[in-house]
Amino acid sequence: MKMSRRDFLKATSAGIACFGLAQLGFDLEPLRAYGARLKISGAKEVVSVCPFCSVSCHVVAHVKDGRLVNVEGDPDYPINEGALCAKGAAILSLTNNPHRVTKPLYRAPFGDTWEEKDWEWVLDRIARRVKDLRDRDFLPTNGRGQRVNRLESLFSLGTSHMDNEECALVHQAMRMLGVVHMDHQARI
Amino acid sequence: MAKAFLIDTSRCTACRGCQVACKEWHGLPANRTRQRGSHQNPPDLNAYNYKVVRFHEDLKGGNIRWFFFPDQCRHCVDPPCKAEAEGYVEGAVVRDEATGAVVFTLLTAKLSPQACEAVRSACPYDIPRRDEKTGRLTKCDMCIDRVAAGMAPACVKACPTGAMNFGERSEMLKLGERRLAQAKKVYPEAALVDADTVHTVFLVPDPRVDFGPPPGIDLHAFLGEPRSASISEPSLR
Repeated sequence: MKMSRRDFLKATSAGIACFGLAQLGFDLEPLRAYGARLKISGAKEVVSVCPFCSVSCHVVAHVKDGRLVNVEGDPDYPINEGALCAKGAAILSLTNNPHRVTKPLYRAPFGDTWEEKDWEWVLDRIARRVKDLRDRDFLPTNGRGQRVNRLESLFSLGTSHMDNEECALVHQAMRMLGVVHMDHQARI
Repeated sequence: MAKAFLIDTSRCTACRGCQVACKEWHGLPANRTRQRGSHQNPPDLNAYNYKVVRFHEDLKGGNIRWFFFPDQCRHCVDPPCKAEAEGYVEGAVVRDEATGAVVFTLLTAKLSPQACEAVRSACPYDIPRRDEKTGRLTKCDMCIDRVAAGMAPACVKACPTGAMNFGERSEMLKLGERRLAQAKKVYPEAALVDADTVHTVFLVPDPRVDFGPPPGIDLHAFLGEPRSASISEPSLR
């Protein structure tokens, strides 16, 4: 039977659940007060990809009762072999963070405060601004009369959280508008 | 059966994956941090950081040397903190015979602040820190829950460079000798620290390097600005 390292760990934790720790030869008596129960025992394991840089380390997310309880490196993935850097190791806090922005925020021109808005309002607003700007600034030709069909007053800034396909979509959408200034951040 | 860490600091790149993985596994809250002129952040171990990567730089022979030290509990074979704590509260500090883990239990909350200070003073490596909120004394617990389930401690699991290692003590001591032989080619003075008396053996490039007190460069003095009364040492959240 072929068994990955993770299957082995699963099997041993199942064994622990059935027979109790003592039978495996661990004397945890003095440690009872500290709580010997593993917080990921019985959790569902979901393999995912770290969202930060282009190394794309694989992680194992432990989900218990619909909640993320732990994230660590996937030992079966040959690139990171279970390891993670400080950013990848913090994925749990990235997800369960009270400071996480979960609603669109809007700051009006010259405003100094953020207002919560719904997605519909924000998307309409972005579409309106992009359309108006393109109508105003679109350049069919350059100074020498050559056809360029470009829009120089809009800039697209990507994020390392976007995957290849998302980047392709954004790129195509920007080219369609004539945007020539594009940058992306997945080169950490 | 006894376990041990081997921490090969010659391989550490100070990414601090171990430091963060430790916090994540133990569910410890964030510390408020600020620029102190050092990458060492937070500046010292505290109740919410059982592990902290210390930074040291100096000049030797006109060359800049930069050393990293992922500090943590050494899990002493004969722990002075346990001996000290026994005098106050029985069972506040226990040693797991199977693994060699020295663990602070919930009973440490019964130690007075003075007793906690005495336990901390007893530690030759200055590791224990008191959680002012819960009154408990805290430090690395060797991820005893993970180790009991056959898993590596969170810090070791996260380490991408092979600096953090964990396993049977005899295996780790052998690995330590092999790594020491390698390290000596680059750092002739490299050494294993206190290998006979602890379960967390550090391989250091230069045993004379003192990682010293936590960094506290006064940026206001450094920049020649008056110290603002509103900026004080941030307290734990």
